[in-house]
Amino acid sequence: MRQEACNLLIDYFNHQLSEKDKALFEEHLKTCESCQEELNELEELTQELPFMSESVTPPAQMKGQVLENVFSSKQEEEEEQKKTTVAPIQQDRFNKRNWLTPLLAAGLLLSVLGNGLLMMNQTDKDTTQEEEISLDKTQLSTQLTPSEGLESQANATMVEQQDGVSLVIQANNLSQLEGEETYQVWVLEDGEPYRAGTFVPNEDGFGAVSYKMDFPEEHNWDTIAITIEPDATSETPRGDIILSAAL
Amino acid sequence: MQTGDQQALEELYDRYEKLVYSFAYRMVKHGAIAEEIVQEVFMKIWTKKGLYKRDKGKLSSWILTVTRNTSIDALRKKKETTYTLEERDALESDQVATEDIVEWKEEGEKLRSAVKTLNNEQQEIITLFYFNGLSQREIAEQCNIPLGTVKGRIRLALKHLKQSLNREKRGSNDETRSV
Repeated sequence: MRQEACNLLIDYFNHQLSEKDKALFEEHLKTCESCQEELNELEELTQELPFMSESVTPPAQMKGQVLENVFSSKQEEEEEQKKTTVAPIQQDRFNKRNWLTPLLAAGLLLSVLGNGLLMMNQTDKDTTQEEEISLDKTQLSTQLTPSEGLESQANATMVEQQDGVSLVIQANNLSQLEGEETYQVWVLEDGEPYRAGTFVPNEDGFGAVSYKMDFPEEHNWDTIAITIEPDATSETPRGDIILSAAL
Repeated sequence: MQTGDQQALEELYDRYEKLVYSFAYRMVKHGAIAEEIVQEVFMKIWTKKGLYKRDKGKLSSWILTVTRNTSIDALRKKKETTYTLEERDALESDQVATEDIVEWKEEGEKLRSAVKTLNNEQQEIITLFYFNGLSQREIAEQCNIPLGTVKGRIRLALKHLKQSLNREKRGSNDETRSV
């Protein structure tokens, strides 16, 4: 196990680990002296390599554009911060692409898990309308495993709400779909699949769905899986399994 | 205060623009993406000034690490979008090196000579690992070596390069002394 963690060093150095593996490796790094030494050595040995780059002249207008964007981002940020301390800032087109996924993920989780609380933050406190606070309970949360050769990641969370159980799926690194294709979530009991949410990812490969689990009768779900379906009408899986987990 | 900061950043920009751009370009091989990386790097310097700690090394090293990390993220993004690795701009490297960063001028030539002392496999693995930022599995596949030996090969190649570089540096010092 320890040996396996040590083998993640190269991928850690090159930002190739999933968030989960990155966290695991950083935990391992705290106590593994040989990994600490090797990481320091890699940093030291590669320190001069950027100077190997051949000199390339940047486009003439680049300086003006970059500095203008950088300075205006700071102003926007300060203005935003004055207005609210809740909303994170989108700084520019490039940043937006990078930070959008975690923001969306966090936003979605908040909206589902804490809808009652979020509403309280956003609505005027003077409102006379009584809000009924829903105390949601998380039943299970699990990470789905991608099928071989895929780098997609997904989390499944079952949330017990006042009016039933919802299954929340958040996935990223999803490949783009063609035509009418959709991602379809299934929950399985003894090999029999039940539909549990259909979604399409955004252009950043992030997709999410919240599905109300109001199936008749009691079920003991043993598996959760996500497939790509040719369209949104599949009653049983027709496409390949992209991600799955045993429950 | 703000104006003073802006001026300081502009000076830093003037000093490192070409190095950051050239390094980003070497990694992503795409002019427009390299421009976005330069912007991202200076955005990080501007908004997260506190992250650089003097005791952690030279400012240039820190800026270059930020550049590499940003470039790797861009490369991963590039893989996921429609860009292909063949897509390159018509950019060419400068015929005459006009770097005004002394460090670059001094290091660059010695590094390029030191790299020549490595065999082809070692040169390739350093490029795939450092400049292309590939995963261990991708490096194993491209070099046609077992996954478990990738780390050892990288370390060996880097150590070899470092030794060769040290010899280069000693050599040039000797030359300077003998003149």
